Amino acid sequence: MPRPVIELQDVSLCYRLAKQRIPSFKEYALHWMRGALTYEQLWALRGVNLKVERGESLGIVGRNGAGKSTLLKVISRVLPATTGRVAVRGRVAPILELGTGFDYELTGQENVFLNALLLGHSRREIEQRFDAIHEFSGLGDFIRSPIRNYSSGMLARLAFSILTAWTPEVLVLDESLAVGDVHFVKKCEERIDLLRGQGTTLLLVSHLAEAVRAHCHRCVWLDGGRIRADGRPDEILALYEGGEATIGVGSSGTTVSA
Amino acid sequence: MTRLYEHGDLIWFLVMRDLRVRYRRSTLGLLWTMLQPLIMMLVLHVVFSHVFRFELYRYPVYALAGILFWNFFQQSIVASMNSLRGNAGILQKLPVPKAVFPVATVISGVVNLCLALVPLFAILIATGHPLEPALLFLPVSIILAALFTLGAGLLLSPLAVFFSDVVELVGVVLMLLMYLTPIFYPMAIVPEQYRWLVRFNPIRSVLEVFRDPIYYGKIPPLPHLGVTVVIALMALLIGALAFRRSSDRIPFYI
Repeated sequence: MPRPVIELQDVSLCYRLAKQRIPSFKEYALHWMRGALTYEQLWALRGVNLKVERGESLGIVGRNGAGKSTLLKVISRVLPATTGRVAVRGRVAPILELGTGFDYELTGQENVFLNALLLGHSRREIEQRFDAIHEFSGLGDFIRSPIRNYSSGMLARLAFSILTAWTPEVLVLDESLAVGDVHFVKKCEERIDLLRGQGTTLLLVSHLAEAVRAHCHRCVWLDGGRIRADGRPDEILALYEGGEATIGVGSSGTTVSA
Repeated sequence: MTRLYEHGDLIWFLVMRDLRVRYRRSTLGLLWTMLQPLIMMLVLHVVFSHVFRFELYRYPVYALAGILFWNFFQQSIVASMNSLRGNAGILQKLPVPKAVFPVATVISGVVNLCLALVPLFAILIATGHPLEPALLFLPVSIILAALFTLGAGLLLSPLAVFFSDVVELVGVVLMLLMYLTPIFYPMAIVPEQYRWLVRFNPIRSVLEVFRDPIYYGKIPPLPHLGVTVVIALMALLIGALAFRRSSDRIPFYI
């Protein structure tokens, strides 16, 4: 029995100072001298237990501020959990907001290297895959232009091509793919299916129920930093959509910026 | 630190990018790196030999060596502090070891320092300053200066993330330190009662290990060299430990 790719045990994450942030050293020193350093604690995740097996595709739904982004940051090892145990076995390829990890002054080609190096690949690995990345992106000669001249669709193509040139253990996706044209979106879906065939676990964060229904076997509903429900997408989505209508605003005590 | 080594390719890319931005964007970039210290040296030369009137044998060489060192030290520290904030988007999204940014910054500072040695050698030749074999010791001096500076950069760059006024604060402190370091004045003009301030300034030790081969044409005396090695390694150790302690908190504040 292989161990789960993602295993979260009672994971909580607290943003200290998230609201009353002391922006300057001067103020910090003054507060500290008066003994008036108070911290506001915002628990973005509370006791999350989650196991995701290899090859599963998991949809994550929830309102703004429910903790979706924080959960993904914990899984991709950007934020350390405040309490609890996090085990992620293998490489997590996060889809990035448009432009993250890109340098607009550099050419597409240079950005392939920058971005893939940031994702943890070596220069040699990138050189070996460069032609494949270039071809999949469909950017042609534009690969040699600075990406500040790219459209958002072209950037998304480049980002996706780099991200999926290797087979990551976990692939994180959100709606940002939709900026590509129909043709490219179809190509992306084929690529995702291929990766899943090779055992990649898919995490899809979406406000769109259809996307989760179409791609996921399983869905969790995050609410106020807790997993409210976990199960088959159609069941969870029905609960989520129904719940949204009845719960309304202010049901959970905390608000967290996503 | 082992993870840092695994990201050698990334550090190298960041260094090359830094240099390319600096030198590709303007054709003057390269010229400027070399010209700026020379202009500074000329100004100091005029001020000190004609206004304040103290005599120091081949003052231009003395001052230029000091300026090159100080430029490297100061620019690397300021750039390190900006390096984390400048890459906020990456640090919020990707599990990259955060130290790659200050490390790459200091390395590109070293490359700039090496480029700035070209006008220094031109001045050495132009003023008929003897080119001693001790100049071959310079790489060791530069490595010590780099380790020391990296330590300071690692210590200060997370602080610049946590508190936005640290950059200005450090600017003021650097200004003060500049006057406490014999960059453009000789130790001899410091009044007796203040001399200990300059003497116990660790930056002075690192500076003199850099300047001795250039100005005096000699390898720094062994006791002084030993002290400087200890200073550089201590700075690096303190910086690395402080950075490691705070690095988990960086994405929360950036």
